[in-house]
Amino acid sequence: MKLFKFSQSRSLWMMHFCTGCGAVELPPTMTSRFDMERFGIMPMATPRQSDLLLITGYLTIKTLKRVVRAYEQMPTPRYVIGFGSCTINGGMYWDSYNVIKKLELYIPVDLYINGCMPRPEAIIDAFLKLREMIAKGEANAWKKYIENYEWYKKNQSEVFDVEKWSVKK
Amino acid sequence: MTQEEKIKKDIETTFGELVNVNIQREKRVRVNAPKNMVLPILAYLKQRGFHQFTLLTCVDWINDGEFELVYNLYSLSYNVHVLISTRIKRDTETMPTAINVYEMAFDYEREIHEMFGVVFEGHPRLDEFLLEDWKGIPPMRKDFDTRKYVEEKFGVKDLTKELFTRKEQPYRGPGSNG
Amino acid sequence: MSILYFFLYLLLVTIVGLLYMGVARKVTAHVQNRYGPPIYQPILDVLKLFGKKDAASHGVMHTLGPVIAYTGIGATLLFLPLGNHTPLLHFNGDLFVVLYLLVVGPLGMALGAGESANSNATIGIARALSMMLGYEIIFFMATLPVFYANHTASIYKVILAQGTFPKWAAIMYPISFIAGLFAVQGLLGEKPFELVIAPHEIASGPMVEYGGKFLGFLQIWHAVGIIVETGLFVDIFFGPQNILWFFVGTFFVFLASVLVNAVMPRFRIEQAVRFYWGIPLLFAILGILQVYLWR
Repeated sequence: MKLFKFSQSRSLWMMHFCTGCGAVELPPTMTSRFDMERFGIMPMATPRQSDLLLITGYLTIKTLKRVVRAYEQMPTPRYVIGFGSCTINGGMYWDSYNVIKKLELYIPVDLYINGCMPRPEAIIDAFLKLREMIAKGEANAWKKYIENYEWYKKNQSEVFDVEKWSVKK
Repeated sequence: MTQEEKIKKDIETTFGELVNVNIQREKRVRVNAPKNMVLPILAYLKQRGFHQFTLLTCVDWINDGEFELVYNLYSLSYNVHVLISTRIKRDTETMPTAINVYEMAFDYEREIHEMFGVVFEGHPRLDEFLLEDWKGIPPMRKDFDTRKYVEEKFGVKDLTKELFTRKEQPYRGPGSNG
Repeated sequence: MSILYFFLYLLLVTIVGLLYMGVARKVTAHVQNRYGPPIYQPILDVLKLFGKKDAASHGVMHTLGPVIAYTGIGATLLFLPLGNHTPLLHFNGDLFVVLYLLVVGPLGMALGAGESANSNATIGIARALSMMLGYEIIFFMATLPVFYANHTASIYKVILAQGTFPKWAAIMYPISFIAGLFAVQGLLGEKPFELVIAPHEIASGPMVEYGGKFLGFLQIWHAVGIIVETGLFVDIFFGPQNILWFFVGTFFVFLASVLVNAVMPRFRIEQAVRFYWGIPLLFAILGILQVYLWR
């Protein structure tokens, strides 16, 4: 069990949900200047394969539907990093009719990175912090989603029609 | 005679007193025209070399009770922008569609219809485009109260207070969770 | 007893294969002027994947697909001599059995990915099976002279029939050796022929719907696959080695492939197959002509 926890903290496969901003900050983080692969963090292609969901920048309601679906497809344990001011309070879209204000109302967030946009140093710092939290067993936001599923669904249904946008069997 | 002046003279000789042409600055000519003159001007400018339909945009003059539609054209050979502006009544008037002249207008007209509620006559597909499941008045109109909508929709009690209260905390370097 | 021996064998090959994958990532990182992950990183990845709490399955075949793939490559190990080490099974004609068993891996993936009904997975499978038209033919034609010259179709006998250093098949039949190197690049699925996985294009192809433990199985399948495919090449072309030199040989074949991978873009599918039917096919035919005329 300890071995599994150690490997979970040392090997994070990331899906970056680049909603608009943030797609510029991630390539320097991946490539030779900052090189996040030395911490075992790799970009992955699909939510089923990844452990870490990186929400970069603002989320419109339209995108939130897709984010919720991607998040629910990820195998547990899964982690979420809110990236940039827009995920904290809406950022510069604070009075926009179409951008959600607080990400944590809709999906649980382990860690926020402040800034508009955060520098690659801040991203690396957040990854290391998340690694520490996983090793200590503190990154338990995914449990919160399972325990308070009704509450999250209620919040989601306030901004979009959950029934219409959920996967039908 | 510069290129802009030539274009101005051509439009004035073709359409006479009906339109008002002025050169705003270098590379930009603005044509103020009544509603029924817009399509003839677009057709004329297209065969005169303005092959690029850059943008269709809309301005809500709520005090005058009018929408201003601005058609932006650009010519690669003359390197000149032409803006064709027209005004229609806010809720009563409709606009003929421009997709028979420029096919590019298809998506722009859908967008304007969705965001402002302008009806384009003859457009084959004026349905849901960018907004999903939108109810109520179109969001880009001036009489749409954004703040009230946000406070209701996203459950934020007092927008400026709740989102932007500064908590007195020392700055702890990049990535700090404070 | 031999069953226990086989599982030890499988464990050794899996771990060595995972370390090879780690070396590949490290080497690629250094080529790209990065530091790269530690060499044991793939082992951590696999441990993490097996430690996942849940994994979505789309049906029985989807669950069994990775198992079939891993079993197929494990069965190949039965016939694969590690250097001059006697394999668990060998008989005259086992080369053909191995060539068939190498297809079981992609076929297992095809069955599994087919049930997920993801269009990316279907595209990946179609590409994997079309790619075989390219590299399988070249691989078989490149190894044909060695088997023909030694009058056998058993991998183990071919190894023993070759002599030590100057009598290696790689030196005796250099043209076929070059054709074989081309085929190994496609067998390993490294970069000019990476189009089955192609993460940026079809979102990792057949693996697109796999997560958690299934993906862990696919990772160790890939790890064993590296050793089996490079090992077959080393066995046929470098003669009898002891087990240490065998792994050194496979390592260098794999390293060459990784270095090419690090600097190459990706072919489209029709370009890849057309490439194989060009220069490598020419080399393979010349190799066969050489042994035919020489004898």
